[in-house]
Amino acid sequence: MKFLMPALLLSASLTQAADLKIEDAMARAVPPTAKMSAAFMTLTNNADTDLAVVSAESSVAKAVELHNNTMTDGKMKMRQVNQIDLPANQTTELKPGGQHVMLIGLNRALVEGETIDLKLNFSDGSSESMEIPIQQIKPMMQHKH
Amino acid sequence: MRNLLLYTFLGLAVAAGAYVSFELFGPKAPLPKYAQAGIGGDFKLTSVEGEINLSDYKGEIVLIYFGFMSCPDVCPTSMGVMGTAIRQLDDAQQQKVRGLFISVDPQRDTPAELHAYTQYFSDRIFGATGTKEQIDAIVKQYGAYYSFVEMEDSALGYTVDHSARIYLIDPNGQLADILAHDINPVELHEKLAAYL
Repeated sequence: MKFLMPALLLSASLTQAADLKIEDAMARAVPPTAKMSAAFMTLTNNADTDLAVVSAESSVAKAVELHNNTMTDGKMKMRQVNQIDLPANQTTELKPGGQHVMLIGLNRALVEGETIDLKLNFSDGSSESMEIPIQQIKPMMQHKH
Repeated sequence: MRNLLLYTFLGLAVAAGAYVSFELFGPKAPLPKYAQAGIGGDFKLTSVEGEINLSDYKGEIVLIYFGFMSCPDVCPTSMGVMGTAIRQLDDAQQQKVRGLFISVDPQRDTPAELHAYTQYFSDRIFGATGTKEQIDAIVKQYGAYYSFVEMEDSALGYTVDHSARIYLIDPNGQLADILAHDINPVELHEKLAAYL
């Protein structure tokens, strides 16, 4: 079992999901009255078999769901998805404007610099528990070309 | 000689008259194209301070955004861009810019919560919402879009599909520009600076 975790993740528990690398995991810092936030990360499935995130849990939210955002014709649409696919030998990004772990009904403010617990459950029955940092999403400063 | 003086005087008088009448009756600075097309205009909403009208902010650039607080992604991103762009202005200029986050979800978002939400991104960004009738009228006036979507299996219950553009209102209260949701702070700052 090879499970590479960045140093920022404070704990990593047992998982059956071999050859899965989770990087740059973070929860979005949100205003004190915000009831929602989202968690983002990069997942690399180095195995030869497909995997999927099928659910997630956290103590900071009443419900944790998997969602996908799409922008079509200038309209932003967010939909719940049953799972986030992690195809074999591919990197899947959960990022603003795309797929994310949605934290619904926050029971505390998500303040930059603190951490939250997050557990991902995978399609092979394994799971991964981690502490991820709360960060501001910094807008890109570069000009578009 | 006498005639020459007379003609010179008459000529000057005609030129002066033409100048004065041009100043008084000549073409003014044209209205922005959106205003010409009837897009935009005044509206009435409720903020934490009570009733507000767009016309209250004459002399300021107003950046209008339609969103909702349960939006975890594009709304906070756009508010972050707006706040960053405003912070690049000097203090005096900042006081002439006002972000206005209009919640299309008054059932979930109260004016007090919206105030705290928007002030997190900048003390020059304010929140407002209104009745469904008021919101529908403004959305139509500005050519924006929103639609409630039931989410049966989600703890959210429903979400809101929405247009994610920034409407730039010039200091005369006219809609001057419609900006894409993914504009970056540098570009937005340049847009603002052009009106300051």
